Amino acid sequence: MEAVKEFINAVSRPQIMFPMILAVFFFVFSPTDRLLAINKRLGLYKLWTKRGGIVLFLCLFLAFAFGLMDMNFAKIVTKPDNVPIVGLIFLIFFFVWFSMKQAWENDARIAAGGRPREAEDSKEKILVWPDLVYIEFIALILCTVLLIVWSILLKAPLEEAANPTVSPNPSKAPWYFLGLQEMLVYFDPWIAGVLFPTVIMIGMMAIPYLDTNKKGCGYYTFKDRKMAISIFMFYWLVLWFFLITVGTFLRGPNWNFFGPFEAWDIHKLEVLTNINLSELVYMVWLKQRLPENILLREMGGFAVVFLYFGAMPLVLAKTLFKKVYAALGPFRYAIFTILLLMSISLPIKMILRWLFNIKYIIAIPEFFFNI
Amino acid sequence: MAEPEERHYNIDRLNMIFAVASIVLLFALIWMVTDDYSREWKDYQRKFRELEIEKTRVKYDYAFNELESKGDYKALEKQLEEERKTFTVGCPAGSADDEAKKFAAENDLLNQKYRFTKAEYDAARYRYETARARGGADNAHLAKAAEVLAGLERQLAGLKLAVEQSGQRLAQRQKAADDCGARLAELERRERGFQQKTKILQRKLDKIDPGAMNFTNRIAQMVRDLPIIDLANPNYKIEQIVLKDIPEDLNFSKVPTVDRCVTCHQGIADQDYKDASQPFRAHPNLELYLGNDSAHPIDEFGCTVCHGGRGRGTDFVSAAHTPASAQQAEEWEEKYGWEPLHHWEKPMLPKQYVEAGCFQCHAGQGTIKGAEKLNLGLSIIERSGCYTCHTINRYKNWPKPGPDLTKLSSKISKKWAYQWIQSPRTFRPDTWMPAFFDQSNTSDPESRKRNEQEIHAIVAYLFANNPEYPAASIPLEGAIQKGKEIVSSVGCMGCHRIEPRDPSEALTRDTLRREQGPNFSGLGSKTSKAWLYNWLKNPHSYNPRTKMPNLRLSDEEAAHVAAYLASLRDDVYGQTEVPAVDEAGIDGIVLDFLTKSETLDSAKKKVAAMSRDEKLSFAGEKLVRHYGCFACHAIAGFENEKPIGTELTEEGSRPVDRLDFGFVHIDHTRPAWFAQKLKDPRVFDQGKVKLHDEKLRMPNFEFNDEEIEAVTTALLGFVKDAPKAKIVPRTARDLDIERGQELARVFNCQGCHLIEKDGGAIQPAVGQWLVDYNNVSANEAAAVIPSFSPPNLIGEGKKVQAQWLFNFLHDPSTIRPWLKVRMPTYAFAADELNDLVKYFAALDNEESLFLEKFHGAITPEELDAGAKLFSKDYFDCAKCHIVGAQMPGGSPENWAPDFALARSRLKPQWIDEWLKNPQDLLPGTKMPTYFDPAGFEASGPEDILAGDEHKQIRALRNYLMSLTPQPHGQTPPAQ
Repeated sequence: MEAVKEFINAVSRPQIMFPMILAVFFFVFSPTDRLLAINKRLGLYKLWTKRGGIVLFLCLFLAFAFGLMDMNFAKIVTKPDNVPIVGLIFLIFFFVWFSMKQAWENDARIAAGGRPREAEDSKEKILVWPDLVYIEFIALILCTVLLIVWSILLKAPLEEAANPTVSPNPSKAPWYFLGLQEMLVYFDPWIAGVLFPTVIMIGMMAIPYLDTNKKGCGYYTFKDRKMAISIFMFYWLVLWFFLITVGTFLRGPNWNFFGPFEAWDIHKLEVLTNINLSELVYMVWLKQRLPENILLREMGGFAVVFLYFGAMPLVLAKTLFKKVYAALGPFRYAIFTILLLMSISLPIKMILRWLFNIKYIIAIPEFFFNI
Repeated sequence: MAEPEERHYNIDRLNMIFAVASIVLLFALIWMVTDDYSREWKDYQRKFRELEIEKTRVKYDYAFNELESKGDYKALEKQLEEERKTFTVGCPAGSADDEAKKFAAENDLLNQKYRFTKAEYDAARYRYETARARGGADNAHLAKAAEVLAGLERQLAGLKLAVEQSGQRLAQRQKAADDCGARLAELERRERGFQQKTKILQRKLDKIDPGAMNFTNRIAQMVRDLPIIDLANPNYKIEQIVLKDIPEDLNFSKVPTVDRCVTCHQGIADQDYKDASQPFRAHPNLELYLGNDSAHPIDEFGCTVCHGGRGRGTDFVSAAHTPASAQQAEEWEEKYGWEPLHHWEKPMLPKQYVEAGCFQCHAGQGTIKGAEKLNLGLSIIERSGCYTCHTINRYKNWPKPGPDLTKLSSKISKKWAYQWIQSPRTFRPDTWMPAFFDQSNTSDPESRKRNEQEIHAIVAYLFANNPEYPAASIPLEGAIQKGKEIVSSVGCMGCHRIEPRDPSEALTRDTLRREQGPNFSGLGSKTSKAWLYNWLKNPHSYNPRTKMPNLRLSDEEAAHVAAYLASLRDDVYGQTEVPAVDEAGIDGIVLDFLTKSETLDSAKKKVAAMSRDEKLSFAGEKLVRHYGCFACHAIAGFENEKPIGTELTEEGSRPVDRLDFGFVHIDHTRPAWFAQKLKDPRVFDQGKVKLHDEKLRMPNFEFNDEEIEAVTTALLGFVKDAPKAKIVPRTARDLDIERGQELARVFNCQGCHLIEKDGGAIQPAVGQWLVDYNNVSANEAAAVIPSFSPPNLIGEGKKVQAQWLFNFLHDPSTIRPWLKVRMPTYAFAADELNDLVKYFAALDNEESLFLEKFHGAITPEELDAGAKLFSKDYFDCAKCHIVGAQMPGGSPENWAPDFALARSRLKPQWIDEWLKNPQDLLPGTKMPTYFDPAGFEASGPEDILAGDEHKQIRALRNYLMSLTPQPHGQTPPAQ
């Protein structure tokens, strides 16, 4: 038992968990044909069937049941602030499973020469009055019951009077901002707190203009929208939902990382040995002191950033994104790749941080400019 | 027939689901209302009400029975009964019979008619006025209006008459009835007088006891507490005390403190509930707290100001109750589902530390009356010298508590110093010198080895460069027995003991006073006779700032005492050998200190270049600084060093998460941490990996549990947000008193004297002396102890002249020659002398220090009268009082102070008051009362000054003021 917990604690360290999730993710949500073939070969798509769903939820329930036997886990999970996030986990799993199931079913139907289920559904007639209104009313009553019972059973998580000189430890953002807060670990505030949120919003507004694929309109499908769904799911599940969950359950005092069965010890010390790219280049590889000149010092970093945002789109247009380029045209392609690269930079930096201890690509603390 | 409705779902099933959902919603709503309605405090209020009913019933029954058993009352009742009978038979029925009712009805009707007619008349008058004002155009209209008005006026006059007649008739009837029943009314009035007490209780019962209510009231009682309706005026409601002048700081705004404790603690301020079960029990000390006449009325202080806790909480957990022990915590968990309220920064003080709450407002006062544990804690802090390492504002200018070590080599040997530092308690089990070495975090073999070398280094540093202490040689070989007698009589026992305090004897502030100086056991093994002789002769020559006063011993006396003290040897101690200096070990220590500021290489070179003594001295200096020895002791080279501990001024407000609990499993609360820290100051190093000089270094005072509790209480009291409105005002007088109390504590005045009814620690020792050297039995001794002890200083400010007190404190002279114990000479600075004089003046509310100068002129008549009163024939003053060199007869225990000093010492006003009633100024004094305070005008002798007592007192006072030490033997003029 203890050994299992130890193992889970060890595995859930970001250095291991994050690459693992990345590795698994693109097989489950395969953006390309080749990955899809592997998916099929491994039978991962079976997750999106009724039986797969039952197994998935059974695992989830068992995991919680097992966890709740542990005092530390139970304490964190049953905290009134965190209960909604537990609900969120189940809801997200359910809806992802449900939509993916329908998508795969539709794909199977289309492959067999049929039409998607939604085409048939639309033939059915549901009367607004009384049927729809009636079931909506019943749903409303049940939701009210849920909210009442919840408010009776769980106390509002109030804390001491706010004091500007004493910040709580850990100080956590509201749950919906925990993803942003997690980004602060990897980026400077001006990027994680200003630039990225802005780009996220602009990017979402741009989606209809970038994604002109008409397939999948009005029905669920995976096969025809592999790339779009995978990219979306990656943002949605990994960069948003996963980070919120981590921020809620696994980030403890001093924003340190704690395994699900670890006690939140305020005195826990973590090794902080991150270095900047310039230090890696000059000190580790070239065995030199850092140059005095800032530009010289950060030359490598600038080169990387330039290559990443300047050259990468061109290279991709010729190789991996040939089709995309053809479909979008140069202007939309440019916007698409820049947005994509920007968002990919988060997992890249996470990996650099967790696996290679690299803190900043460009580090100019003199001007508060770090990337 | 309508066509069947087109439906997608099975309507019956939907109806079913809808019905079930609705029922579930209904239950959820009922649950919600019930959950909201049922509150813990309501149950308590219900229970309290039952208790209240029960108590009131018992009280009522008692009062009723008491009433019934009164003969007067019984007789009255009988009388009443008879009178009532007579009244019904013989008197007109007032307003009760049919005729009277008819009359009254007629009267009412007439009255109504009159009022209505008056209204019509008023309206008609208005119409007439407006018609006339509009002018004469419409004469007919005006005339008609005038006519109507006149008609109504007549009617009104008639009605008025009728009403008056009818009223008169009624009044007459009533008067006749009243006159006839006058006696009955008087008897009823007396009955009410008797029943007053029972009536009040009866009314209370009517209000609260459903059994005593009528049906409608009972229904109303129930209805007003129903859910939702209870918003109006329920029986059971949250009671609260709002304290506008004690704001609660919410960082962004301030709100008044609101204490809802009384919601459950309903009997808290009511003496009747002193034995009730919790939460209804009355406060154990209503005279001091909560009562309206007490110093802390409930409406002005509430509860949480002193006790802490969350005043707005209305259930057991949310009020932040704190258990006093683990056992109680368990009990509470079971009974109330108790858990610590994490997010409340000021949890209630556990019962044993409750006096900490006093300190926040009474911080200025030296001793806080009634808070004995807190006072003891503060005294222990003072005695242990916590304030020397830890800054505490209250003790900013306090002297170092330990002895001066600058001339150490003349006093003790290096070996003794080594053994003492290593373990002070081995030599002196009750010492206040704490143990620094071989503690819980430094007692592994390796640390022990290092400790040995560290002690060697410290000793070496302390003994290096000591100035020569010019020691005079002892003029004669003292006699031990004589020395012993002097020690026990002259006053040493006010500050010292011979043997250490028996561990079974509890530490109190009084026993602490006798630990002002060290106990004498084993003194001969510590230092030399010659040193003792010189120290006794003049302590200030060895240490100018010592608190040890000069007892003005003669050479001979000093030699005896030195001989006696040197004879107190502890020969077992010191037998053990001191481990040798290990040069490698010293090198390691020196290296550790050197590498803090330089590289290992250069440090090593430096060490190699040092001689052994240099290394020891170097390491010694660093170690004295590291351990903070200089904080308590004067050590050369450390005159301006800053203290090494954390500041404790606001320690009681330190957030719990700023306290390092390490790996020690105790409650994460302030009191638990403080207590643990005091028990073993190094305990929080447990389980940590640290270098030797990183380890915790607070020394161990080996406090016992009571001492820890007392000190923890004081620490918990050192808070930062005292309620400003309630702090005891620091007026000039209060400041004088504070300063005086501080000096009195520093110099241990209360070791000998009673000041502010507190002190006199020497008295048991005086009793012992009486038994040992005066052939008095213990019982006899107990009776005369006050006569042989240093005087009680009550009323000193009122009694003695400021100039005299100033001179006396500076250079004491004998006032009571029969006392063996003597007032020693302290080397008070001028400002300290001033402060002490002001202190005594302030205690007695003497507004100015100096009185109008006594002119001393005395008329021959007064002189004559005074002398007569003084003489044997009258008051025979010289029977007890010394007059100059003339000693009174009889045994010394009855002697009284020298009159020759009166002129320069006493305030004339005080002599007057003293002669009038000595017991009033000094309760229990031996001075006889010559003028009976009860019948003053008839108490003095009739044949002097025409029996005028005021004149007699004046004459006697003036006579006393005229007495001088010269000429000897013939001061009282012979008559």
